[in-house]
Amino acid sequence: MANEFDPDLPSNHLIFEVRRDSKQFTGFADQMEDLMERYGLSEEERAAWREVDVVTLGEMGVHPYFLPQVTRLVHGSAGNNSKSNAAQAYKKSFGDQIVEHKKI
Amino acid sequence: MAEIVSVMAMAHAPGVTGWLEAAPVEEQVAIKAGYEEMGELLRATKPDVLVGIANDHMLNLPLKNPPDFTVGNAADWEGPAEFFKPWLAQDGYKVAGQPDVANCLAQAGEAAGLKLNSREDLLFDDNWSVPLFYLTPDYSIPLVPIHMNCINPPVPSPEVSVRTGQVIAETIRNELPDDLRVAVFATGGLSHEPGGPRYFTLDEKFDRWFMDLLAEGDIDKMLKEATIERMNAAGGGGTTELLAWMVAMAVAGGTPARSIFYVGSAEMRCGIGGSVWDAIH
Repeated sequence: MANEFDPDLPSNHLIFEVRRDSKQFTGFADQMEDLMERYGLSEEERAAWREVDVVTLGEMGVHPYFLPQVTRLVHGSAGNNSKSNAAQAYKKSFGDQIVEHKKI
Repeated sequence: MAEIVSVMAMAHAPGVTGWLEAAPVEEQVAIKAGYEEMGELLRATKPDVLVGIANDHMLNLPLKNPPDFTVGNAADWEGPAEFFKPWLAQDGYKVAGQPDVANCLAQAGEAAGLKLNSREDLLFDDNWSVPLFYLTPDYSIPLVPIHMNCINPPVPSPEVSVRTGQVIAETIRNELPDDLRVAVFATGGLSHEPGGPRYFTLDEKFDRWFMDLLAEGDIDKMLKEATIERMNAAGGGGTTELLAWMVAMAVAGGTPARSIFYVGSAEMRCGIGGSVWDAIH
């Protein structure tokens, strides 16, 4: 079902709050371990964050809309075109599940 | 009795200000021209205030039991929020709010039984920052932002969206001060799937079908055919932002919309388009 998620999952709380606080999203990758501890992420969630494994995070219950934001928190938001590090990390996680665009 | 002088709806994809240069040149030209035309059409109606409806993107509304709508009733707004500035390639802007209009809409919505509240502390992302960049480049027209829960189930149904549009229209006409010129605009969509395997594509066939449906101006047909399931089939996580377009359609009284532009842009990861309602009843 589209948009289904677990609102109690710590990763969802982390994403919701971090985006709202420049002290938390600035240099996110460098303070990710501290933030994962602060928000009480499980070991499984932490492992997925470290690998930027958005597919697994989605399976755990992270809201789908938040998944690209995971890649942006880790890899940065600027110039988020299809060749950006964030977009490529997303593509890597989905692997051959990715549906390529076909112009009609 | 206040007057609804403009009703329109348009996409707010972040790439439109964030990385448009990465799109093919013909897409860049068409997208810019489309938004600029929307801006010209809006400004020509000389609105005193903008009432906007757009997805909150789970940025402000609580993860659990969010309201369907939150009316922003601050006197001043700033956007985009810091996290979104590099993403949108925007340094930031300020735009006035209009608390009296916001509070009137919120009170009317509550009285009508809508699941709605009001707040002064909303953060903005692409929902307002992309459209306002083109609609009001000098940010000189006060904004009443209505944040909508478009992606946190259960989202408001198409029927609730239409009812909300009707309440907004009735309130503007019956409750707001005489001679106030109000423009209503919805932002979001068209097809896109942030969070799924179709993140890098879109459903152009669906988008054109939806815009054609708006052009028919038949609310009953819209409710029957443009279901949440149909929208999610065209792209989960984002396409249900078109519920906001249904609010706009109802504000216009279900009259036919005119499609201004459409570009199915893979680099924008979204169908980018805009519609206006020339006749407002």
